[in-house]
Amino acid sequence: MAAYDGIFDGLGLREWCDVGKEDAPMSMAQLLAQSGGNDAVAEEGGLPFPSLDVLHEACGRIGQTRDLTAGIEQGFLSIRSELKFVLDPITQPLSWMLDGTLWVFQSAPWWLMIPALLLISWLVSRSKSVTAFVGLVLLFFGFIDHYEVAMQTLAIVFVCTGLSVLFGVPIGIGMSKSDTAQRTIVPILDLLQTLPTFVYLIPLIFLFSVTESKLYGIAIILYAIVPVIRLTDLGIRLVDKDVIEAANAFGLTAWQKLSRVELPLALPNIMAGVNQTIMMSLAMVVIASLVSAPGLGVLVLRGIRNLELGVGIVAGLGIVLLAVILDRVSKAALARVDTGRKEH
Amino acid sequence: MTAKVSLRGLYKIFGPNDAAMVPHVQAGMDKTTLLEKHKHVLGLQDINVDMQPGEITVIMGLSGSGKSTLIRHLNRLIDPSAGEILVDGQDVMKMGQAALRDLRQKQMSMVFQKFALLPHKTVLENAQLPLSVQGADKATCDAEGRKWLARVGLEGFEDRYPSQLSGGMQQRVGIARALTANTDIMLMDEAFSALDPLIRTDMQNLLLELQKELHKTIVFITHDLDEALKLADHLVILKDGAVVQQGEPQGILLAPSDPYIEDFVSDINRARVLRVRSVMKPIQSDNFDGEVEASRNLEDMIALTGGDTNHVYKVTDGGEVVGQLDMKDLVKALVPRVSGS
Repeated sequence: MAAYDGIFDGLGLREWCDVGKEDAPMSMAQLLAQSGGNDAVAEEGGLPFPSLDVLHEACGRIGQTRDLTAGIEQGFLSIRSELKFVLDPITQPLSWMLDGTLWVFQSAPWWLMIPALLLISWLVSRSKSVTAFVGLVLLFFGFIDHYEVAMQTLAIVFVCTGLSVLFGVPIGIGMSKSDTAQRTIVPILDLLQTLPTFVYLIPLIFLFSVTESKLYGIAIILYAIVPVIRLTDLGIRLVDKDVIEAANAFGLTAWQKLSRVELPLALPNIMAGVNQTIMMSLAMVVIASLVSAPGLGVLVLRGIRNLELGVGIVAGLGIVLLAVILDRVSKAALARVDTGRKEH
Repeated sequence: MTAKVSLRGLYKIFGPNDAAMVPHVQAGMDKTTLLEKHKHVLGLQDINVDMQPGEITVIMGLSGSGKSTLIRHLNRLIDPSAGEILVDGQDVMKMGQAALRDLRQKQMSMVFQKFALLPHKTVLENAQLPLSVQGADKATCDAEGRKWLARVGLEGFEDRYPSQLSGGMQQRVGIARALTANTDIMLMDEAFSALDPLIRTDMQNLLLELQKELHKTIVFITHDLDEALKLADHLVILKDGAVVQQGEPQGILLAPSDPYIEDFVSDINRARVLRVRSVMKPIQSDNFDGEVEASRNLEDMIALTGGDTNHVYKVTDGGEVVGQLDMKDLVKALVPRVSGS
């Protein structure tokens, strides 16, 4: 006799409940109760919480909780081939980009690669000290034989950040132009930011083969694109209303307003978003090594798996160093656009 | 003379269902009742103003009187709830996006209280914005921008950034920007209110000087009666979103139609604002102490007579005799009509 039998009887649903009644697989509670040798419900002596499992005992038509999780899995698996059919070709360029960039970063000789990276740092930051620091860190990676893995990580971060900016800025612009778009997109961004990073690896593993680089590419981009979208939206919404009004009064078209007024004035915020995006893709690149992303993350993983303390710690500190140089370079660029408009 | 810009029966009500509220207001519901009963805010009611070409129309009112809302209707930065806005006889309300943009680019330019310059562009780039928006080539933009910057006294500042200039200089850039657009109509929204008094006087003089040369149709918003009287050819006084009196400023000063305006004008230095033309009478006597120009102000006259009220002057305008000025009338005109007396 289950606790909620009376309710279903009272509602005259007994017959409906018992249709096709057979011995359903036991729920975990029942199993535990059985192994304990007594009836769990009876032992508590009170009214159990009307959960799916408890109601199932009273009425066989109501599913158990494990049916829910199984249902999600079934649902996903049933649309999997269609999803794959659509997503596979769309995301294929991501694989090519990642593989191509990885190839370039790895096959270019160090005496070409390091100066090239220094040149980029200089062009972006225009700061001698930052560039010198980048040089030191890169030489240090070479010195401790971590140059190659560091380059792999850097390659992945470059591609994923680039794509995040490429998609994130237009999405952010769209959000800033429409309150409806903002209301729809913000919850999705919240979800992407708070969902444990491992969780969105799970459906990706079902969709793509683990050996494909787009698998981790998508995971990193989904995670890292959030700040650039948010801050583009914020930046454009914060542009001085008086200036926007002046732009309208002089008959600027929507495009002229965006390109001449809104984007330039939102640039400091957008740059702050790009800085955050870089940091987040670097954080994700370690977790992505679970699904075959090469780079420093692989060494961290090896450190955990094989309990090789030194390997893990050196690789971990290597990631910190990469984070520091990426942060310094992007912050220097941000400072440059920021002061660029106040005092020339 | 046909009006350059006319407003006909213009209403503006703020709220989600504004058009439906217009009949209530037309039936005489006032601002507080509308807010309490229908949760709509009355912005403007039944505005009828004609702005003549080549004149400065000043719209004056205290804050909250709806004057900034009113000026934004002219180029439809704000859409009215009801009414017509005619520019050169064309109804602005019937314009599509493209026509409206064309109107804003080629017929109306605007100067803002807070300057609203682009902080990331140089002074020159700011000044040439209206032309570059219209797709003019770089040489034209450059030449026009430099020309108008020089005209407002900013030669040599072309490559600075707005934040490096003082408020008065920034507003000069704002004016240069509006002039570069080469429009017939200039809208000035409290253009000088953010400036300190001395610089404000300079800017008013600059505007009058430019106007003497350019004869634009200027719509000027201000809350300062002195400024309004100095600049206005046609003065419109707004209170709670309605026009209380409009007309020639001297006329309003001598014959305020409403206690509100009487209060307003009672603090004014009348001697400086009123002109001989406004207080003179038709010729009666033939014994004059001298001749004066009709455009002189009363302060000048008092200085001329040394305070003697027994003088009578012959008034001339461009060499023609137009009337006589009795100094006793002059002194009477200096005392404001007090409300209730």
